[in-house]
This record gives sequence, C-alpha cells and structure tokens, in this order.
Amino acid sequence: MTITIGLPSKGRMKEDSSAVLARAGFTVTAVGNDRSYRGRVEGRDDIEIAFLSASEISREIANGTVDFGVTGEDLVREGLAEADARVEFCARLGFGHADVVVAVPEIWLDVDTMADLGDVAADFRARHGRRLTIATKYWRLTQKFFSGNHGIQLYRIVESLGATEGAPASGSADIIVDITSTGSTLVANHLKILSDGVILKSEACLVRARKPEHEGSAVVAEIVERVRGVL
Amino acid sequence: MPLVNLPAFAPDLIADLEKLGTERVDTPVIQPAEPFLDMAGEDLRRRIFMTESATGKSLCLRPEFTIPVCLRHIETATGTPRRYAYLGEVFRQRREGANEFYQAGIEDLGEPDVAQADARAVRDALTVLANRLPGINLSIVLGDQSVFEAVVAACGLPTGWQKRLVHAFGNQAQLQKLMADLSDPAPSGVFGPEVERLAILGKLDDEAGLIAHIDETMEATGYSTNASRSPADIAKRLREKMELANTRLDSRTLGLLKEFLALELSLAEAPQALAAFAGKAGLSLGEALARFESRVAALRQAGVDPATITYRAAFGRPLDYYTGLVFEIEGNALVLAGGGRFDRLLTLLGAKERIPAVGFSLWLDRIASVKGAAA
Repeated sequence: MTITIGLPSKGRMKEDSSAVLARAGFTVTAVGNDRSYRGRVEGRDDIEIAFLSASEISREIANGTVDFGVTGEDLVREGLAEADARVEFCARLGFGHADVVVAVPEIWLDVDTMADLGDVAADFRARHGRRLTIATKYWRLTQKFFSGNHGIQLYRIVESLGATEGAPASGSADIIVDITSTGSTLVANHLKILSDGVILKSEACLVRARKPEHEGSAVVAEIVERVRGVL
Repeated sequence: MPLVNLPAFAPDLIADLEKLGTERVDTPVIQPAEPFLDMAGEDLRRRIFMTESATGKSLCLRPEFTIPVCLRHIETATGTPRRYAYLGEVFRQRREGANEFYQAGIEDLGEPDVAQADARAVRDALTVLANRLPGINLSIVLGDQSVFEAVVAACGLPTGWQKRLVHAFGNQAQLQKLMADLSDPAPSGVFGPEVERLAILGKLDDEAGLIAHIDETMEATGYSTNASRSPADIAKRLREKMELANTRLDSRTLGLLKEFLALELSLAEAPQALAAFAGKAGLSLGEALARFESRVAALRQAGVDPATITYRAAFGRPLDYYTGLVFEIEGNALVLAGGGRFDRLLTLLGAKERIPAVGFSLWLDRIASVKGAAA
C-alpha cells in the first residue's frame, strides 16, 4: 500500500511542513521541477507527496484521496462536519499558530464576555430592526460556539472571504469571527477579543483520514511515530 | 408530482380539518430563506435546503408551514380572526428519517380570547390524532413560558437577568448553566482594560460625560458613521452591568427557581400547585396564574380532561417568538403533534398591528408509522 501525504503547495506552511518531515527522516523532494504538484520521499517508494492548496487539504483528507495531510486545525474543523469521527489529529506541529476568535468594536465598553454579547444579541432586533450580524468565513465554528457553547441563536452570518476585520467599520456587519495570530490587525481596526471569545487555538497538525486499511499498516504507524518523535 | 410519501389517510385528515371550521391554504414549496433564518437563527441553515436565485436571493425549500402561512396572511391583508389549515410536504436535513415528509396543522390568527384559542388548539390536535389513531394511547405535555416569566419577575431579579433567564427558557442545559453562572459570577474578564482605565479616571460616574467620550472615540476611529449601537446604548448597558457586577443570585432564589422548574404534575392539579408554590415562596404571580387557570377551565369546557395532560414547568421552546402555551402530543413514544402560542411572530414578520396567534402541526410520517405498527 502506498501512503499519500498532502502538503501545502506554497509559502511558509510548505517550508515548515517539509522541515518537520525532514527532521522525522522523510526528506521531501518535488518530482520534476520545484513547481510540480507531485513529490516523493527520498528512499521511500511506499510514500507519495501531493502538494495541494491549503484550503483543499482538509477536503482531500475527508474524501480519502490522501491518507495524511498537514493543515491548520481551523480548516479541518470548519470544513468537516463531525471532524473527530472522520479524521485523527495525530500531532500538533508547533507552527502556523492562529486563534479563531470573536471580536467586537473596542468601543463596546459594555461587552467583554460572550454573556454580554448574548444580551446585546437578544435585544438587537427590538432596538435596530434587524438581527446582530457577524462577518466571518467560519460558518460552522461560529454556529457551534454561539449556539452550542453559549446558547446564542439570534444573529445572522454575513459571509466574508477577506478583510473581515474591516466589516464593523464599513457597516457590513456588527462583529467578526476571524483568525488572528498576533492580534495586531484587530487592534489596528479598533476591535477587541472577548475574554471568553477564543473559539479555537489552532496550529498546523498532522491529520490522518480514518480509513479501515490503515489498521495494522506499518507505514502509517511509522509516519505517526517518527513525526511525534521529533516534536 | 410523485406524492410517494402521502399517507393514505390524508384525505380523511383534510376532511377533519375542514370540519373544525378552518380555511385550507397552500403556500409555495420554494420560499425566501431570510424569514426562516431571521426568526429561528443561523442554526437552521444546516437543517434546511437552501439555494440561490440567479439574482443572488437566498431561497429554501419550505421547512415548515407557520412562517409561510403567516406571511401569506400579512400579504393578503384579509383581517382577523382567521383559522387556516394546511397539509403539504416540508423539507429538512435530518440525521434520521426522510428529508421530505408531510405536515398538516392549523394556525389560529387573531382570536382575542386567548384561553379559548389555546384550548381549541389542544383539542383540535387531539381530535385529529384520535380520529386517525383509534385505540392508541396519546399523552399530552403542556408548558407555559409566561408562568416562568412571572416567577422570575416576582423574585425581584434585575431586568437584565430576567431577560437572560427567559431567553434561555426551554433549553435545559443552557438554563442550568446560566443559573450556576449567576450564582457564582466569574471574577475576571468581565470588564475590559478600557473600562478599568475610565473608572480610575472617574469618567464612569457621569453618564452624559461617558456618552460624550464614547461619541468622540467613535468619531476619532472613523466608526461612528456605520455604528449600529449608539453611544447612549453602550453607556446605558455599561451602567446596568456595573450595577450587577457585585450582585449574585442568592441561594434562596436559586432554590425557588429550581423548585419551580422541577414541577411536573397533572394539569388538573397544576393551578393549585402553582398557587401553593407562590404562597409558600411569598411570590405574587397575579395575572399569569389567572390566565393559566382560565386556560385549564377553557380546556374543560372544550371537552379535554385536564387530568389527562401533564404540566411540566420547564417545558418551553427557546425561540423568541413563542410567548405562552406550548404543547406536545406523543403516541408510542413518538412526538406526533407540537403546538404553541406565538403572539410575537406576526409583528416580527412585518404585520402592522399585534396579532395573537396559536397553532399546531402534525407529523404525518410518524402518525403513519404508529398506525402501521398498530395494524
């Protein structure tokens, strides 16, 4: 059985993923030229590398087209319903840190907790004739956190695929749910993170598709063990 | 149209609804999605079938009938009272069971005699079910959010807390968590650093000054032109929050709320039990109790024996348009009918004046399965 590992196809994530694998004894090289989307591991005919765009990796793991993938936990949990039943987070790799957070305008002096936000959301329609709006690309994580953890249901999501931090100032939404690594973009846009508003502390993970044929596979066990060993 | 799931008893059921003096209406299967998401919240998105029109308008397959029937009523502006009946297919993404199934029901709009309309909804649901399922034991559970609202108000809790508790009513886990949080509030993270800074500067004591400060900050950060919440809104709520910062739900009140929420008994005995609870606790539940009693009397008059109904104090639906009565009818451990009063829905949907409303819907697939099992 050949095991396929999906890696990010460009940028910092590509370099960091290859570096972790190299430390674990799997030296990744591109097949053909540097821009190629196929790769291999030196000396290993039983492992293939697929370079994929970051947003596709979680989907390919879910489909089972790759056996492993290196990608952000946020993308997996946002992309897949019941993620833990379908994939295994084998190792947290220590790079690509980003928190998915709930942020509100800094000037909302009365709002610092999710409970405050719940109060504001409950009253919003009566005061403003519409529901509280949240700009985000994280539909699933937002819904789970707001209704599952905090019992807040009365809000509307406004899809935002970029520059989400600007939404409150431009009036396209009241608050946002977005990723942040240092928080500086939020501060620059006069937004603050709620004290209990961290939905997920995400980082790059080695993720395995839960496939029956992985049971008892020596290669699968070896990859997990050796990556864990260098962290 | 492949009406594969339409139960054989549908024509009889339609005849029953007609005999109950209702007017049959139909609504398009394809509906604008906005009203459903606005009323029920974003969670619904995962449970309905949505698509977009060529012009980008969100559309969905009808997930239920209440909102379409109410919208139709508002559009046709036909005046009240009206009693509408429906029978048709609804579409939902469900983990178990089919994604398309039939529902039927009655929406009773604009009847000013609330007790009578409530009683009629319960009786009609029961009649239709009993006609389709002779010999099947039907159990009814009834709840009333307005009694909980009265208890919370009579306990003298701050308005902000009352709202939170009422908002969580019907969601057991959420309500328990909220009561625990209110009795033992988090010590930190409740006020941000900016509020602490303003407190040190003494800027929080003078409300007009605080509003001016918020206004200036909004101007300076270029936020004010699009701000949804005004400086006065923010200052007012901040004041309320500060007043509550050092209060907690005392153990006596917490005990009372828990005692109330645990009440579960025959509806025939419920008015007396509620009066006894209020008397012992020293709470005045006034009108809510009177309304509760008159509903029980109206049920008797409508020929429904309250002794056959279970009253469960904690039973409610955590949607903000439900206002009073809620009920469910079960047979063979399946919920066959669900109903309730939604006095707030029509104005939320755009009706000019307040229209009291009560209704119920029947799950035809479940009725068919109970019928099949009994045959």
